[in-house]
This record gives sequence, structure tokens and C-alpha cells, in this order.
Amino acid sequence: MEIKTENLDLEKKNPLALFYQFRELGLFFFIVILCIGVQLRNPSFLTGENILDMATNTSILVILALGMMIVLITRGIDLSIGAVIALSGMLTAQLVAANPTVNPFLCLLIGTIIGALCGMVIGLLVAKVGLLPIIATLALMNIFRGLTFLVSDGEWVSSYQMSESFVEIATGTFLGLNHLIWIAVIFCLVFFYFLNYTRTGRQIYAVGSNPQSAAVSGIKQGRILFLVYTIMGGLSGLCGVLWVSKFASAQGDTASGYELTVIAACILGGVSIAGGSGKLAGVLLGAILLGILNNALPLLNVSPFWQNGIQGFIILLAVIVNAIVKRRVERIHLLRRAG
Amino acid sequence: MTNEFVLEMKGISKAFPGVKALNDMQFQLKKGEIHALMGENGAGKSTFIKIITGVHQPTEGEMLLVGEKVSFQNPKQAQQHGIAAIYQHVTSYPDLSVTENIFMNHEIRHQVWKTLNWREMHKQARQLLRELGSSLDPKAQMNTLSVAQQQIVEIAKAISTKAKIIIMDEPTAALTARESEELYRITEKLRDEGTSIIFISHRFEDMYRLASRVTVLRDSNYIGTWDVEDISNEKLIVAMVGREINQIFPDKKTSAGETVLEVKNLCKLGEFEDISFSIKSGEILGMTGLVGAGRTEVCQAIFGITAFDKGEILLSGRSIRNKNPQAAMNNGIGYLAEDRLDQGLLVDWSIEKNITLANLSDLSSFTWIHRDKEKRQAKEFGEKVHIKATSIFDSVNSLSGGNQQKVAVAKLLTKELKVILLDEPTKGVDIGAKAAIYEIVQQLAEAGYAVLFVSSEMPEILGMSDRILVLKEGRIAADFVNRGITQEMILEAAMGEEQVQEKSG
Amino acid sequence: MEQKKQTYQPRTLETNLPFSWKRLFFQWEWMLLLILIAVLLLGSYVSPYFLNYPSLRDGTMVFLDKALIVFPMAMIMIMRDIDISVGSTVALSSVVMATLYTSAGLPMEVAIIACLATGAICGLINGLLIVKFKELSAVIVTLGTMILYRGIAYIILEDQAAGGFPEWFGFFGWGYVFGIPFLLIVFAALALLFGIVLHKTTFGRKVFAIGNNPTASRFSGIKVDKVKVIVFMLAGLLAAVTAIFLTSRMGSTRPNIATMYELDIIAMAALGGVSTAGGKGRVLGVVIAVFIIGYLQYGLGLINLPSQIFLIIVGALLILSVAIPKLGGMMKRK
Repeated sequence: MEIKTENLDLEKKNPLALFYQFRELGLFFFIVILCIGVQLRNPSFLTGENILDMATNTSILVILALGMMIVLITRGIDLSIGAVIALSGMLTAQLVAANPTVNPFLCLLIGTIIGALCGMVIGLLVAKVGLLPIIATLALMNIFRGLTFLVSDGEWVSSYQMSESFVEIATGTFLGLNHLIWIAVIFCLVFFYFLNYTRTGRQIYAVGSNPQSAAVSGIKQGRILFLVYTIMGGLSGLCGVLWVSKFASAQGDTASGYELTVIAACILGGVSIAGGSGKLAGVLLGAILLGILNNALPLLNVSPFWQNGIQGFIILLAVIVNAIVKRRVERIHLLRRAG
Repeated sequence: MTNEFVLEMKGISKAFPGVKALNDMQFQLKKGEIHALMGENGAGKSTFIKIITGVHQPTEGEMLLVGEKVSFQNPKQAQQHGIAAIYQHVTSYPDLSVTENIFMNHEIRHQVWKTLNWREMHKQARQLLRELGSSLDPKAQMNTLSVAQQQIVEIAKAISTKAKIIIMDEPTAALTARESEELYRITEKLRDEGTSIIFISHRFEDMYRLASRVTVLRDSNYIGTWDVEDISNEKLIVAMVGREINQIFPDKKTSAGETVLEVKNLCKLGEFEDISFSIKSGEILGMTGLVGAGRTEVCQAIFGITAFDKGEILLSGRSIRNKNPQAAMNNGIGYLAEDRLDQGLLVDWSIEKNITLANLSDLSSFTWIHRDKEKRQAKEFGEKVHIKATSIFDSVNSLSGGNQQKVAVAKLLTKELKVILLDEPTKGVDIGAKAAIYEIVQQLAEAGYAVLFVSSEMPEILGMSDRILVLKEGRIAADFVNRGITQEMILEAAMGEEQVQEKSG
Repeated sequence: MEQKKQTYQPRTLETNLPFSWKRLFFQWEWMLLLILIAVLLLGSYVSPYFLNYPSLRDGTMVFLDKALIVFPMAMIMIMRDIDISVGSTVALSSVVMATLYTSAGLPMEVAIIACLATGAICGLINGLLIVKFKELSAVIVTLGTMILYRGIAYIILEDQAAGGFPEWFGFFGWGYVFGIPFLLIVFAALALLFGIVLHKTTFGRKVFAIGNNPTASRFSGIKVDKVKVIVFMLAGLLAAVTAIFLTSRMGSTRPNIATMYELDIIAMAALGGVSTAGGKGRVLGVVIAVFIIGYLQYGLGLINLPSQIFLIIVGALLILSVAIPKLGGMMKRK
């Protein structure tokens, strides 16, 4: 049994394995280094005002990434969220334009319900009919986007049509922090509790980790999938309202392509596309990293036209590095098991 | 009213469309006994288990639990009645922690808030593992554990559900001798605490070591139940196989020719080490050992599916290195994969297209496939191995296991090969088809192929091979000439702590 | 004769299938043909300018450019993969071509070759990443390159348009050969070529084998990785061909052209009967599906319906075409 003990030591000492176990820490250090670098080039980066700005601008991404994380954990994907944001944003904006007195909380609720309904359609198609998530959500992305154009007739809803209380949702502050930040923090806490301390939360992981064995344990897979897409839809709907309120305009192509940014945040945060694993802390850091990039690139005088390319490059690089590290670690486990 | 039996099954049958998977099963399990269930692959054992655990519902018969009639509609109900199963292929959640694997779907929650009580679960998990004599960290992720460790977690899971009946489906298959001993100890402990255990194994020593009674299944039929002390080894084998063993093997009438394949010091870190052997033309070299001993890995390294670290492969004296399966086949080496459905065949395809898949280049000019040639070849080779089907267009998944295997063999024959590696060719095949496959293997040897015959089943290794290699933990533990060799000798080599150095011939 | 053999050979395997009406008519393609006829009739009902030869002929120019990519996409989907970066590849190749011609001053012929090379390289990168990092899956890889390729297009051209191509370049988008649009001829030739490759050659057989069971294919001596890389490269190459036709028809290019093309293409393939779970599909069905979706788009354009309705219809068609077989299967089981 010589080999065995030797390999056990190997694992304990291997920095790679350690790094992988605390991947979030690695991402965190990367963010810190990035911040220091940007700060050196432009001292206005790490000022209180700019940090708050960044936090505000990243909040919506964080909320959406939470939802996308649980979708990815179940081995799914949702490409329709940009379109759901646009649809719910457009409908609530039209409601506000027609009745300026409508309560902002009611707006948030209506937006969430619209989004949840959209999510339920996806949930039904994936869980009951058995369509591949990528195909179902690709198709529904089109349909929701088309519906948005139809209900708006190609018109925008602009800031002057929106009541002050509505715009206040995303621009107002509470205790010095923007409402968006508060909402994101609340959702993070709720999700932390939901994913780690409830049965349903753990069943989401179980379904993604090993569907067959989940079925043998008596976990109702269809119900979990339906739930996950409904939550994702509801969050997108909510963010639709926030988005429209923040930018004070609702358009047919609102948030077009935003699903990619959200998925990117999750993947950067270490959520596996193969399902079963993903941590809230990682996703949060992934979203923050993208938020920092978005904020820092203009500060560094990088042309806005470079942003897409840089983002794509970083996503690819991150997933590839992640895959390589994971392979090495798995090889170590393999050796140990074989020993 | 007290009842002697915790579980009783009367006349249980299960039919699937076209197949009778279990026929008139009788079974009685006492409290606190270890009851062995034996039978060849495909004898109906797994159907039987799936009925007990609620995965399948019987078409006929009744099941009594402590004297009361029950019928489970789903696995959850069986669990609630205290039935747990530990499967051969560990069915865990690889991404989750040990604790979670133990408590999945029966988590401990806070009395008041109904939230998951991780602290309590970790504590109990540690306690359960300690009772099983394991010092595993409950927070460790499942996919970092060895198979033996994962199995212990599975047992802990069964205990945590307060199971009164635990079914163990070939738990020792992938374990080393020492780990098996550990498992025996745990199993006995559970028995002494009053748990009833159904123990399924191919290994006779498991049965003799543990069980007090044994029930035998054959060809989906119930054969009988005996006290272990009352039944001799030979009688048990007859019960399992249905006839005298040596009857089903063809007579050997070949003489070995020249050495064709020579493997020298093949090594792959973590899988196998220092593997050397040679096969002559017309010779059948048996290779056996426990599951996980590295047999498949050796075959796949020779066939170019995986790379090896060190060593050399010589074909007719010429050193070759197979970069991929195609190179191996062009060099004259063919491989019949162990997992027929996953690695061997395209089950949705017709017999014809499966047979010709490896040989498309010979059936085409400038990549254009000649359909007539293709059909002719499929017919020729399909008939050569006696596939039972109406036409070459029948889809492979409409065939029985044995006929599927024949398709896979026919596919190999389309290539001009010198060496054929057969990895568990009779796995999951009924007894009649087995005899047919043995016949084919013998014919291959007579036709001058050098045959490597990998199998876990001792009788067929003994019945078929000219020489026998026994692997143990990735090394060659013994190299026998098949003359006067017994199952016990092979088992000793496969499981024993010391290496058997008996080289003869 | 085959039958006589039975007397002395106990088990013969039939090599001829008896003729069956059910097999002849129980095909997805007949269904598609009916849908196509319905679309054409509907078109003639809503617009008097729709159903005549010149209209139908010239209408193909509107939609056939992206349909060129549908053939490799069908292969990719048969192999259980997906490529959502093709729209971005079209944009990047087009931008590279236009920039080389207008800014670098290279001859148009060289620019066209560069365009094709760009597309092929994009596809090659996709293929290599997918093969080398199997755990990432084609979805993630092409999602990443989708952002990256369009990002590079933006880096090259920013928000400018590039155009002013030589006059002969307009031939790709607007030219006729013997009274038939050049694009239609190219499409027909590619359909024939891919039909032959997919259904009659060893390469096509391998593609189907991989889609059916990648492991068993590898064990049977198929170089799975090589086949995959080639097919992804083909997708990139044909995206570049599409870029040529599209740029020619529009007369200039921008980094945001061909957005969301991948969706229409995937929808065409799925509607054409290519299984999204892999292993099944026929070129004939895909060709009919191209004309269904294309004429739908063209017809809607003729009567000035907003293009958003087209979005909804494509989405709905995609869902229906993949859901119907599943629902059928569910009914059967019950």
C-alpha cells in the first residue's frame, strides 16, 4: 500500500488541488490584482463614489446570475432571459405610462409575475415535454422578443412618460445605498438560505449531480426543473422592471444579448455547465468581475468597441483554464483512488 | 402474531414486452440473516431487486413484509418500509459531500425553523461512519473517494434510513481482498444488530464466508433455496448453470502456432504495471481477476483507446504503437468491448450498418459506399456467426443480448485481424447464447486468430483457455498453463495477499 | 437466388426489404411538403404578387444566403452538438473582407479568399476547442466564440460601415445564370453535394455513427475528433460563403450584420427533421424546411407585416417541430 499513502500526501501538498478547492479565493485574488492595476492607471477608480456606482450597475447582473446558476446546476441553460427582461420591462412601462399613479411595488410584482409566467412556459417545455433547454429557450427568446415588439408596436416608452415614483425604484437610495444594491443583497441572502438550508435547494443540486440516482431517491425531477425555470423567469421579470426604471426607457431591444453576460458571470464563477456544482460566492465574484471590467475599461480609455472582444476572450480563457485545472485535480483523485 | 420472515415473496413474476424477466419467484428472508442470491448474469437477479425496491412493479404474485401484504409503486415507498439497496455501480451524487449523500431526501431539519440542520447531519454522519469503522471526513466531496470508501458511504446511507432489509448487489466486485474483508466485517455487524441482508455476489467465497442460506435463480426462474452448509460447490454450480459445466464448452482441437502478439512491461500509472504476456496464433489466452484489477484497461491500452506510459507491444515480432483504434485495427488487432451497448454497438442502427461500420473503407471507392457490397458483406458475416434475425435491416435493439454480441463479433470479423481481444464477451448473455459464443471463440482460434479472452467467470475461463493470466491490482499475479488448474487456485491468485509465482510450460 | 439458400442454410438474413406503402408515406418530408404548399397557398391568398415564377425565384435571394450554413449545421446537430457562433462568424468574415479591400487596398479577389480563410479558421478554432475540452460542451465554446468573433468585428470596424466594392462583386447577390439567381444555383449545388456526402459516403456514415453513439464509433475505428473538427470547419467556411453573398447583396457591411442567424438556421434544421438529440436527419427535409421558413419570411415582407411576427413564427415552428415527435412518443407510451 505504498503507492496509496504516497498519493495521499501528493494530494495534500498539491497546490493545484488546494487552488481548485478554494477556487473562489483564486477569483477573488484575481479581482484584487485587477483592481490594483486599474487603480494605478486611473486613481479615480477606487473612490467611494465609483465603487457605489459599480455596485449599482452590477446589481441586476448579480440577481440574474443567481437564477442562471440554479438553471445551470440542473444541467440546463436559459437563453431567453434578455427577451423576458424586455417583455416585462415594456409591459410595466406601458402600464406606468397609462396610469402614472400606480404603486411602484405593484409594478415590481407585476413584472415578476409576467417573468414567472414566461419561465413557466419554458419549465413546461423542458420538464414535461422534454425539450432540450437550449432549443426551447432559443425558440422562446424569439417569441418573447417578437411579443415585445408587437405590444410596443416598435415604439419606445421614454423617461418623460414615466412617473417619478417609478424611476425612483432604481435610482432612489436607502441608508445611502441604491435600492438596486439592497435588492441584490436581499436576493443573495435569500438564495444562500434557499440553496444551503432547504430541502428543495439541495434537491436542485441532486438533480444536476446525478439525475438517475435522484429518481431512485424519490426526488421529483420534473417539479425541480419547472421550479428552476420559473424562478429564473420571475427574476428576469423583476429585473425587467428594474432595468427600465434604471435606464428610464423601454425599448424592443432592451437587454438584447444580456443572457450571454449572465451566463458568462456564472461560468467565471465556477458553475459547471455539466451540472451539479456551483457556489453562490463564486457566482457573486464572477458577476463582480464583469462589473469591474465594464466600469474599468472606459476608465482606462479602452474603446467601447473593444469591450465585446475582451469579454469574449476572458470568458473563453476562464473556462479553459478552469477545465485544465479541473483535469489535473481529477487526475490526482484518480491516482489516489487507484492506489 | 409474530412472523418468522421479514420479507416473503410468493409467486412473483415480471414480464416486459416480449420478455419474461422473472418467473414465479419464491423468497423468504429471516430477521437478522444474510441471504445470498446467486445466479448468472441475466438470471433475473436485478429484476428481482428492482421489484423489492419498488423500481419495477410485479405483474403477478404477492410480496409480504413482516406478514403484511405490500406493493410499492415507487422507490420512495420501499424506502419508507425500511428497504435499502446498495448497487454494484455506486449511485452517488459525485459533486456533493459525504453527509449529503448519506442524508439525501431524508435530511435532518431544525424542529422549529424547518431548515436543514447541517451540524447535526455532519455529526450523525461522522457517528455512522465511525460505527462502520471508517474515519472518513463527512464534508469530503464524494468524487474524491475510492470505490471502497464510496461503498461504505452507501452502507451508512442505508443505515441512516433505518433500513431493516439491506440489499447488496455485488458489493465486493470492485474491492481488493482487504477491502472485502472490511465489508464482511461490517455486514456481519449489521446482521448481529438484527438487519436482514440480501447479498448478491458472483464470488463463492463471499457466500461461504457470510451467508447462512442461498437462493439460486437461473434463466429468470426460481431454482431453489438451500442452507449453505448443506449444498456442495458442484451442486450449486449445477443449480446456477443448469448442466454440468464442461458440457457447454467446445472441445479444444487446436495447436498453437507462432507467437503473434507480445506485450512487454506495459505500464500505466494508477491503472496497471509491468504487464507482460504473449499469445500464439490459434491460442486462447484467458485473462481474469476481480473487477477493477485492470483487465479492461490493459485491453484498451493495447487497442489504442488510451495511451500507456511505458512498455512495448510487438506484433509478429514488429514493434507497434497504436495511436487510436483505427491504427490498431489496421495493424490487425481487434477489440470486443465489455460494454456492448455503450461501446460496442449503435443500437438504433440496423444489423447491416453495425457489421460494416469498421470496414467502410473496403466497401467504398473514393468514400462512396457501395450498398450492394455492403449488404453482401453484412449477410455473409451475419450468417457466419448465426445471428437470429429475419433480415439484415433489423435494428440491433430488437435482438437478444446474445445476438447483439454476435453482431459485435461479426463487425470484428470484417477486418483482417490477427489478434482479437474479447472483453467479457458473455456478459449479460443467456446460457444458450453463451454456448454459441464459446463455439465462435473456439472457431476463431481454429481459424488462426490469437485470442485474448477476458472474463470474470471462472468456469468459462477454465473451460475455454489454453493458458490463464490472473491480474490483481493492475499486476499479473499468476500465469497458469490450463492443466489441472482449479477455481480455488485462480481465486487465491486474484485475491490473495501474496503473489503466486507458478510459471510453467 | 437468395430464397433457395434457405433449404441448406438454416439461418439466412434477408437483404431485400419488401415494398411497403407505410414506409414510403410515413416520412417527415411529406409533412413538410404539405406545410410548404400551405405556405405558398397562404402567400397567394394574402398577396397577389406572391405566387408566380419571377416572384418565387427572386424571393429566394432574400433568404437563401443564410440557408447555406444549414447543411453543416445539420451535420453538427446530427453529431449532438450545436454551433451558435455562425452569425458572428458571418459578420467577422464579412468585416475582414471589406476592411482588406477598402482600408488595406488589396484586390477584391484576395479579400474574398481572406474572407473564406477567416471563416474556416473561426470554425477550426470552435472545432479544436470542442474536441480538446470535451467537458466544456459545444454550447459554452460557441457561446464564447460568438461573443469573441463579433467582438473582433467591432474592434476592426467599430461602428462604421464599409462598402464601395467593385461592380462585379454585386454578381454574388444579384446575378443570374441562365435566368436563375446565382445564389439559388449555389444552394442547389451545395444541397446536392451535402446530400451525397451525408447519405452516400463514408464520411456521412461516420457523422451519423458519431451522433448515435460516440464511444462505440471511436471503438469501431472512427476518428471522432477529426470528423468533428472538419464539420465545424465546414460550418465556418460556409458562414464565410454566406458573408460573401450577404455583403454583395447589401453593398456594404457592418459589424452587426447576421445577428441571430444561428437561430433561423437551427430552426431550419430542426424543422427539417434533424433530431436535436442527435443521430437523425436528412438533407431533403432540411431543404424543404429552408423554403418553408424562407417563403414565410418573404411573404410576410410582401404584405408589410412587421418582421417581429416572423420572429414569433420561427420560434413557434422550432418548438413545434421538436415537440411533436416527443409528444407523439409520450402518447405511444401511454
